[in-house]
Amino acid sequence: MSSIKEKFNQISPSEFFYRNRDLAGFSNPTRSLYTAVREFVENSLDACDQKGIFPDVHMSIKAVDPEKPDPKPYILTVKDNGPGIESKHVPLAFGTVLYGSKFGLKQARGMFGLGATMAILYGQITTNKPVLVKSSPDGKIQDEFELLLDIQKNKPVILKHTTKEVTKQGLSVSICLEGDYAKAGAKIKDYVYETSLITPYATITFDDPKGEKFHYSKIVNEMPPAPTIIRPHAHGIDVETIRRMMVDSQIEIPNIDDIMVEKVRKDLGLTKNNLTFSGIMDKAKKRWKTLSRPVRIVVSLMSFLKMDFDKLNKIRIDDIDVPNKKLFYWDFGDSQSKFVDMDSESFYYKQMIGTVQGETLTTFLTKRFQRIGSSTALKFVEFAGFKPEKRMGTMTNEELVKLSDSLQKFEDFLSPDPSCLAPLGEEPLEKGMNKFFKPDFCSVIQRPASAYSGFPFIVEMGIAYGGEIRTGGPHVYRFANRIPLLYDEGSDVVLKVVNDTDWGRYKVKGEPPFVIVSHICSTRIPYKTVGKENVADRQEIERELRLGLQFLSRKLAAYMSKRGQADMAKKRANLYAKYLPLIATFSTELAGKTKEPNYKKLLEEEIIVDDR
Amino acid sequence: MTIDKVKARKQKANEKQQNIIDILKDHGAKVYGDLDSGQFPKFSIPSRSVSNIVYDKKLRQYILGNSAALRSSRNSSQLRSFTQLMWLAFFANRLTHEKKSSTLRDVYYSSQAFEIEFEDQSESDNIIVDLEAVLSKPREDFHIFPEERSSIFGDLNIEYTIPGYEGKTMNLSNHPDGYAIGPSLTTAELVDTTAEIVIAIEKGGLFTRFVEEQVDKKFKSIIINTGGQAPRSTRTLLKRLHDELRLPVIVLTDGDVYGEHIAMVIKSGSANAAHLRELTVPDAKWVGVWATDIEKYKLPTIPMTESDIKRCYDLQSDPRYQEGIWKKELDVFLKIKRKAELEAFSKYGLTNITDKYLPQKLELAKSL
Repeated sequence: MSSIKEKFNQISPSEFFYRNRDLAGFSNPTRSLYTAVREFVENSLDACDQKGIFPDVHMSIKAVDPEKPDPKPYILTVKDNGPGIESKHVPLAFGTVLYGSKFGLKQARGMFGLGATMAILYGQITTNKPVLVKSSPDGKIQDEFELLLDIQKNKPVILKHTTKEVTKQGLSVSICLEGDYAKAGAKIKDYVYETSLITPYATITFDDPKGEKFHYSKIVNEMPPAPTIIRPHAHGIDVETIRRMMVDSQIEIPNIDDIMVEKVRKDLGLTKNNLTFSGIMDKAKKRWKTLSRPVRIVVSLMSFLKMDFDKLNKIRIDDIDVPNKKLFYWDFGDSQSKFVDMDSESFYYKQMIGTVQGETLTTFLTKRFQRIGSSTALKFVEFAGFKPEKRMGTMTNEELVKLSDSLQKFEDFLSPDPSCLAPLGEEPLEKGMNKFFKPDFCSVIQRPASAYSGFPFIVEMGIAYGGEIRTGGPHVYRFANRIPLLYDEGSDVVLKVVNDTDWGRYKVKGEPPFVIVSHICSTRIPYKTVGKENVADRQEIERELRLGLQFLSRKLAAYMSKRGQADMAKKRANLYAKYLPLIATFSTELAGKTKEPNYKKLLEEEIIVDDR
Repeated sequence: MTIDKVKARKQKANEKQQNIIDILKDHGAKVYGDLDSGQFPKFSIPSRSVSNIVYDKKLRQYILGNSAALRSSRNSSQLRSFTQLMWLAFFANRLTHEKKSSTLRDVYYSSQAFEIEFEDQSESDNIIVDLEAVLSKPREDFHIFPEERSSIFGDLNIEYTIPGYEGKTMNLSNHPDGYAIGPSLTTAELVDTTAEIVIAIEKGGLFTRFVEEQVDKKFKSIIINTGGQAPRSTRTLLKRLHDELRLPVIVLTDGDVYGEHIAMVIKSGSANAAHLRELTVPDAKWVGVWATDIEKYKLPTIPMTESDIKRCYDLQSDPRYQEGIWKKELDVFLKIKRKAELEAFSKYGLTNITDKYLPQKLELAKSL
């Protein structure tokens, strides 16, 4: 499971997304430019994270014709030092929609790798220019493609493909798209700034169309460990998800067609065409251990039907009635439904049961969920009032609901495995905040992993106060899976928690120079809107945020009272610096002396007298 | 006047000034020494809180008890007032050296030249009282005077000691409006007089009448207008007239409880000045208007107000009102609950008070 070998799957046509591009954030030139930047930068960072490479991302936006007023065509180029993409995958990865490698339960910035293709699609629609992709996975040979998307067919059209020798690995994607930098510029700069705050191990450079250069160097020399793909956690999983997992766990009655028969023949090593039924069974028994499950099922069915391949071709399996041990089938020759009894003592019968009724409950739990061992599974089964050997296939709807409820209520499950998550970590976060805000005080916390609806999440937070931070705080910087959330602050759960806090209690008053950073990591962030800008107030997430903020607030309060004391001492020192010289002058004249007394010792002395 | 006498007077005045300068220098040297040796300097200030004000029967005045507060420059909340006090001592020293005088208000403004801030004049007034307490000397001794509002008239020769007037003499019967009692008069030498008594009177109007009616000549007296409650400079002068020229002092006030207390303050001081001992004339006599006079002279009266009555009860618990005419008259005031002003005698003619009442009272005073 821990292998991060990418799996590419083609899922759905690009037509649908072309019609629904608003959903993906390509509604207008301002928003589209910003979204395109995000998608490419995040893809680059994700790719580097996966391979444990310190990202060095260079982004540039150039106007095709600088004299033209916005909105106008821009060339957006994002270049990274990541693993690149193998030459044969490039056309599909950039020339089809929904061709992504980000499925499975692990944290990544984007869900589908879909956004980048959307950006390319949008660029093509608005400017009719191809995407230029340069990829070098090995740092020696670089493939350069010019691609267009065939929207109807959802297929890439390769305009040009060349290769050349290079010295650096990485990927560079360049598109031409209609954008409005005048309006999107501030947002993009914020995005780059905040991204480098939450990715302190990355170097990010941005050349803007006006010739300004923004460069954020790597601050920390450690990368958070790459996330792994994991199974869901038992807490908070719903009935629908269980049902889907059950289907996954069963192998349906195979459709016995020519292809299947050919496969069975091949697997059994049958070269002769018309082997007898008993001959087939003999072969199958000998090779049983090497056979795949579908083949085993076909063989089992043949054993009850006592048919060879010819006869098998002339029927269709309709139902397997397990309680009555009957196998129903349709005979094409006689055009009627028939059945045979299944021998419950037979070796094959046991195979059938396992297949049709699915796994036992305990197997289902240990195999399909994370952090459930056999003893925990047994304890749970007893808690939920099921028998351990209960087959998943025999669950009624009521039983499924009961199972789902019990999964939520059972308290002895280990907490979710956070290995699928990639929080930044306390030290890099603190270093990043110190470097960015140059505060007088900074404190961070990473909460233990928790879960909502079966999705694990981790909350990281930081507080910084004073120093070079501007007043008017708290300024809240929100991140989710290392993506800055820049807009729609009002309805965000983090803002809610911050606003609920009575800062006076923590000795923070007025318009403080004060920053709060929150980072929520999850395999699925519960965004309120498709714009991915605000996080919904899930109770479990809100609780973690609250606990995190309380912890930090207490630390801040301790600092503030120390700071108050220091301010007091400073004030006092100023008081002495002001008055002692006066006293000295007056006493000198009163005493009839000419030289002032040496009162400097008193000024240096630590004044520890309490005022009260 | 012999040369010796003049010399002696000059010497005495110089001694007094030298005395205050010495005291100030001692304090300054102490603070200087503390600073130089790495110590935070401090002052011990006799407490002026009510609990520390006691009546001394022997001295026949209120005095401060033994409790004192420490004002230390080590304590940051006292540092400011310590510096203010230190500045005032410094300022008083300059005034005394230069023989210049200053009013309370002057002090408030002068502070600003030295980066010493006072919130308002009452804060600077308080510091002045603090210095009085520390030095046990009235502010007049270090040349700080209140605004003048009382005056003097009569055959009294004085010789100024203030700069620019040294040796100049003056007879205080030369100007019929009288002479304001200010720093130059309070510090002047009292050379000689033909008067045999000092009449202190509460009101300016009556003072003018007395001058017009030549009370000074008819009764060989020096007339002083106290202008209500006698200011400390006036009380100082009264004391000096009594002590240096051996003149008896009588006090004539309105016939009410406040008038009675004006007389008492001249005689034995006020609680406010309990830290000072040179302001009282213990032999001063209150001759009227008494409560019993109201009936006796059939004076027109007005009813006492509630605050008058409350004041009567307050004074009843004062140890000085426990005997003699002080107690007797207070009791009568409370009984009749009416009061009469000095002007009430005008009912019987404008000169009735000087022709009839005053002679009777002067006669009576001899037996008091």
